[in-house]
Formats: sequence, C-alpha cells, structure tokens
Amino acid sequence: MRETDDGLLFEKESARKKLEQVGRVIMVGSGKGGVGKSFVASGLAITLSRLGHRTGILDLDIHGASLPGYFGVSPPLTSTERGLKPKVKEGVEIMSVALFTGNRPVAVRGSEKQNLVNEVFALTDWGHLEYLVVDLPPTTGDEVLSAFELFGKKTGLILVTTPSPLAVSIVSRLRQLAKGEGIPVLGLVINMAYLKKGKRASFPFGRSDRPSMEKRLSTKIIAEIPLDEGVSSKGLARMLNGRNEISPEFKRIAAFVASS
Amino acid sequence: MHELSIAQSIIDYMVSEADKNGSKSVSEIQIEVGELMQVDLAGLKELVLLLMKGPRLEKCRVELSLKEAGFRCRKCGAAWDMKEARKQLEQTADSLLVREPDSKELPLHFLPSLYSSFLNCPKCGSADIAAESGEDIRIRRLVLE
Repeated sequence: MRETDDGLLFEKESARKKLEQVGRVIMVGSGKGGVGKSFVASGLAITLSRLGHRTGILDLDIHGASLPGYFGVSPPLTSTERGLKPKVKEGVEIMSVALFTGNRPVAVRGSEKQNLVNEVFALTDWGHLEYLVVDLPPTTGDEVLSAFELFGKKTGLILVTTPSPLAVSIVSRLRQLAKGEGIPVLGLVINMAYLKKGKRASFPFGRSDRPSMEKRLSTKIIAEIPLDEGVSSKGLARMLNGRNEISPEFKRIAAFVASS
Repeated sequence: MHELSIAQSIIDYMVSEADKNGSKSVSEIQIEVGELMQVDLAGLKELVLLLMKGPRLEKCRVELSLKEAGFRCRKCGAAWDMKEARKQLEQTADSLLVREPDSKELPLHFLPSLYSSFLNCPKCGSADIAAESGEDIRIRRLVLE
C-alpha cells in the first residue's frame, strides 16, 4: 500500500498514450522572436502533408500564438468523447491555445505552463500521425523545457535563424539547452536570407556566413528561405504550390526530415 | 465530455504502477478530482468500473472525491471559491469557444490550466490570479497486492 500525491495524472498518462500514436515529433524553435518560426513550422507541416504524410501541428507559443493566422483557422473548436477536435486545413491537423481562448490574454505563470503544454497536447484528438510539427515559443523557459520533457526521445529540433549575428547568438542558447537536455538538433534553417527584386538580390539582415553559423550552432544548414511578399499577398499555402524560391526550400526541409 | 479519456488514463496509471512494482493486482485506489475540472464524478466512476477488466483490476475498490477549488488574487490578495468563479464562467459560456451539441459544460472542462483567461479577481479585476486548490486530479491512495 502507498499513500501518494501523484498529480497531473490525467495529463501525463493521457499525453504518454497520445504520444504512442505519433511517429515522430519535429520541434521548430529559435529562442528568439521574429525570425519566422511559425512560418517555417507551418510551411514544413503543409509540405509534409502534401507529400502524403499524415501531419499535425501544435502551437506552443502560448502568449503569442500565430499559427491560426497562417492557416486561416479560428474558434470555435468542437469536442468528441476523446477530446478536442483539431482544425484541419491544407491536410494538416492544427491545435493552438488561441483556438480555445480567442482574443483573451493568457496570463499563465511558471509551472502552470507545464500543465498547459501537457493538457493541450493530451486533450487533442489527434488520431494517428506520422509527423507532429511543434512550433516552439521565443524562449528557453517553461514551455520549451516542458516540450523537451514531454516529447523526449521521439523528437528532433530544427533551429531557425535570420542571417543576423545577433539572432545566431540567441539561437545558440537554445542549441546549448537542447544539448544539455539530450534533444537532437536536426539542422538549421536560415529564414529571411535574402530579398529578390527581379534578378537582383538584397540582404536586409546581412549575408549568411554559412561556415561560421554551422560552427557556432554545431549543425548543418538545411535550407535558406528568402523573403517574399507573395507570402502575405497570396498566403503561404499558395506559395508552396507556386514557382518561386520558397517552395523548393520547404521541399528540401521536408525531404531532410523524412530521411533523417 | 472527456470523462472517458480521463477514465482510461486512470486505468493506464493503475496498470503501469502495478507493472512497475511487480504487483499481481490493485485492490484500492482513491482519487481526488479538482472542482475546476468540472468532471461528472458519478459518470467518471461508472466509466472507471466499466474499464476495470481482468484479474489485476476487477476487484479494485474505487473511491472518487471532489476537491473544492480555491482562488487567490496575486495583486490584491482576495480569495474566492468556485461558486464565485462559476458566475464568471457561466457568462463566458454564452460565447463558448468549444461547441458541443446539447452541452452545458463550462469552458475550463477541457483546459483547466487556462483558468486565468476566463476568470478575473472579483475584487480588483486582475487576471493575475492563482488556483490554490482543486485544479487537477490527484491519486491519494493506491493499494497494490
């Protein structure tokens, strides 16, 4: 016999069980805001889905969720006896706290965030997924540590940066954290790498110093994605179908993920 | 309604603890369910009993109790209970963000950790509040044979 104080029973057990139905978890993070994590995560999820993989995406940017915007989905959610039904768009199953709270602020502190990360994953009726792409928030704090703990052995991390040395130095902190927690880093995506007007390219965030970036972050560059105003005017999903310089970069990332 | 998934997780927990400890059976489990989760206790117990199959679990005595929820404002220190919180949640239910046919469930049934998005301090209005009790499910006693 034992007296216990085992808390979070439901979330932990349910999350563990749900994870059994997921083939692989690909986390996308940088530790820094404004580098395009959600853009890269969304593009990767759509591309994996179009390649025929059953794919979900989980937004863990609790305070500043932007995934619903990229996919054009909004509340309300509906529920089943197995939990909350994710929204489905572009073949991708989508879950975000913002689909639950709408425009309400999420004033959650410290350890409550760990509960929330477990709950939002565990309460979603994902079904079987080949890939779950996780959009990490711009922090090395609670949500990221909780995601590392929750997804553990099934996960790999894709780092996202801009060419800016300042961004790279902040991304290196997440790199160190991942190393310490035993989370494998799959590779690096340089976002906003250049901007093309006609045949001329400009470099608003500087030119990428590839060898120095790879050395600093101890990983290989998988893709370099340019800035393209078509993303805001046409939408990401359409851009991924079109003839442009963004679409092949996402295919490269998806192929890399599938083969790694 | 997600009592079924909660019940399944309780069964999974019992099996996993019995496995870890090399036990032949589980004879008793006491579970405390936080009021904030707004779970139907009778329905949950019925589901747990229904799912307890096989020689390891079928004789297990199941006791479920409700742990009252209590809240405190981090800004002004005011304290309040679920009765007060329910008033706010019922107002929110009019613009419920989770749709379920014929359901009168309040929003926090699904993601109780988001209570601060749906509740404010009734005294000063701050959203910087803490649930001091009754926000989760806890196993209080487990008897393995």
